[in-house]
Amino acid sequence: MKDIVFTKAAQKREFYIWLVCFVVANIINVISIIKFQTPWYEIFTQIGYVVVTSLLLYGLVLVVRLAWRIFRGLLAKR
Amino acid sequence: MNRKEFLSDCSRMGFAGIALSLFPWLESCTEKAQQELSGERARIGIIGTGSRGLFHVQHLLQMPNVDVVALCDNYRPHLEDAAQYYPDAKLYDDYRRLLDDKNVQGVIITTPLYLHGRMTLDALSAGKRVFCEKSMAFTLDEALEVYNRRKELGGVLLIGQQRLFDPKYIKAMQMIHQGVIGDVVGVRNYWYRNNNWRREVPSPELERHINWRLYSEYSRGLMTELACHQLQNGSWAMGMLPEQVMGSGHLVHWTNEDERDVYDTVSAIFTYPNGVNMTFESIISNKHYGMGEQILGTKGTIDLVTAMHYTDEPAPKGSGMDQLIAQIESGIMSNSVFAGTSWAAETATLAPGIPIMPNVKVVSGESSVGAEADGSKELLEAFIHAVITGKQPEKVLEESYYATQFALLADMAMHENKILRLDDKYKVPYQPLKMR
Repeated sequence: MKDIVFTKAAQKREFYIWLVCFVVANIINVISIIKFQTPWYEIFTQIGYVVVTSLLLYGLVLVVRLAWRIFRGLLAKR
Repeated sequence: MNRKEFLSDCSRMGFAGIALSLFPWLESCTEKAQQELSGERARIGIIGTGSRGLFHVQHLLQMPNVDVVALCDNYRPHLEDAAQYYPDAKLYDDYRRLLDDKNVQGVIITTPLYLHGRMTLDALSAGKRVFCEKSMAFTLDEALEVYNRRKELGGVLLIGQQRLFDPKYIKAMQMIHQGVIGDVVGVRNYWYRNNNWRREVPSPELERHINWRLYSEYSRGLMTELACHQLQNGSWAMGMLPEQVMGSGHLVHWTNEDERDVYDTVSAIFTYPNGVNMTFESIISNKHYGMGEQILGTKGTIDLVTAMHYTDEPAPKGSGMDQLIAQIESGIMSNSVFAGTSWAAETATLAPGIPIMPNVKVVSGESSVGAEADGSKELLEAFIHAVITGKQPEKVLEESYYATQFALLADMAMHENKILRLDDKYKVPYQPLKMR
C-alpha cells in the first residue's frame, strides 16, 4: 500500500484555498445582512454558519479540482 | 381556590399594592379588608336551594365567617337537600317570611329569572343585603327599578357576574387595557352545548317549576342564562357600552322534547359607538367548539376562557443567512411550470399561543350549575364581606346592570326582528373598568 504524502507546501496551498472560501462565506453573510436588513452583529454571531459555509465551499472546490485533475490525466494518457 | 391562592394569583400578576386603585371591587380580597371583619360573622338566608343554591352552599361551607341561618324554597326536596348542611337553619317555603326574619342580615337569591327582580326589590326594602344570581331582572323596567331602589336605599346588591372576580379575566383585561393586543377591533363570544337543557322531572305538574329555563314565561333562555356573562366581558374590554343590537333566534332542534318556547339557537351582534362589533352565538345541539370568549386586537388576540395570548405580529424570521438559505431552498423547491394559486383558504393560524399566567384553571362551560375556580367563590366572599361591613363594592353593579339590559335587549331584537338601541331612560351612570 502506497503512503499518501501531504507535503507542507500542499498543506499551505489547501489552507489558502480554504481561507479564500472563508472570505467568500463572510461576503455571503454580509450580502445577506444587507439584503434582509438584519443586524450587523450577525457578522460575529453567525460565525458558525460562516465556517460551515466555508467548509462546504471548500468541499465544492475540491470536487471541481479533483474532476479537473482526472480530466487532465485522461487527456495526458491520449 | 381559597383566599390565599386568589391573593397569590393576584400578586403573581403584579396586582399587589395597586389592586384598590385599579380593581376597587376586589377590596374584600385584601388583607386590610379581612382584618376589618375581625371575627364578625354574616347571618345569611338562601332563597332558592336548587342546583345553583347548593353550588353556593359548597362555597359557604368553606367560609369561616358565615352562618346560614335561614333557607327557603317552595319545592320541598330542594329545601331538604340544603337543610342537611344546615340543620339549625330555619326553613321557609315563602321568601317573604324569610325576609321578615330579623336574624337574617343578607340573602342569596338563586331562583328562576322571573323572580329575581321582585325578590331583590323586596329584600332591599326589607333592609337585607342582597346577592342575586344573574341576570338581574326579567325586563328592562324591572332591572332599572332594582338599580334605582338599591341607589335610593343605599344597601348592598351584588349580581352573579363572577368573571369580575376571576384572576385570569382580571389579568387579561389589564393586558388589553395596556394595549398588548393593540386596538380592540372585535369581541367574539360563543357558547355551544349538545344537550336538551332539561332537568329530570319527578312528576309532570312540576315540569315548568323545574325546567323554568325552557319557558319564556319564566326565562329569556340563552341570552339571560349564558350570554349575560359574556356580554359583560365586551364592555369590560372595550371600556364602553354597545350602542345597538340586532339578532336572530330560533327553536331549531329541540322541538319534540317538550313544549319549550325559548330559542335553542341564537346569534346577536352588538355594535359599539366606534363601530366595533361584539358577537354572541349559542347553539345547544352541537358542542364541538364549546365556550369561547375572544378579544380581537390589531396586534393579537386574547382568549379569555383559556387565558391564552396569540400574537398577530410576524414571527422572527431568523438571521440573514437563515433567510438566504430559505430563499434558495424555496427557489429550488418551487414549481416553475405552474403559476401559484390565485386563492388559498385562510385557515386559522396554528400558533400555539402564550399563557397569560401560570396554572390557569379552564372552565368548559358545559355545566349548567357552575364550575370550580371561575370566580364564583371570590364573588361570594366579596358579598359576605359586604354583608358584614355594609359597603357596596364599587362599579360592579353597573357592569351587571348593563349586562342584563343588553341580554334582554338582544332577546327583544330577536323576537321583534329589529335593530334596537337602549332607550335613554334605562341609562344609568357608567364608569368603565379601565385598568391601565
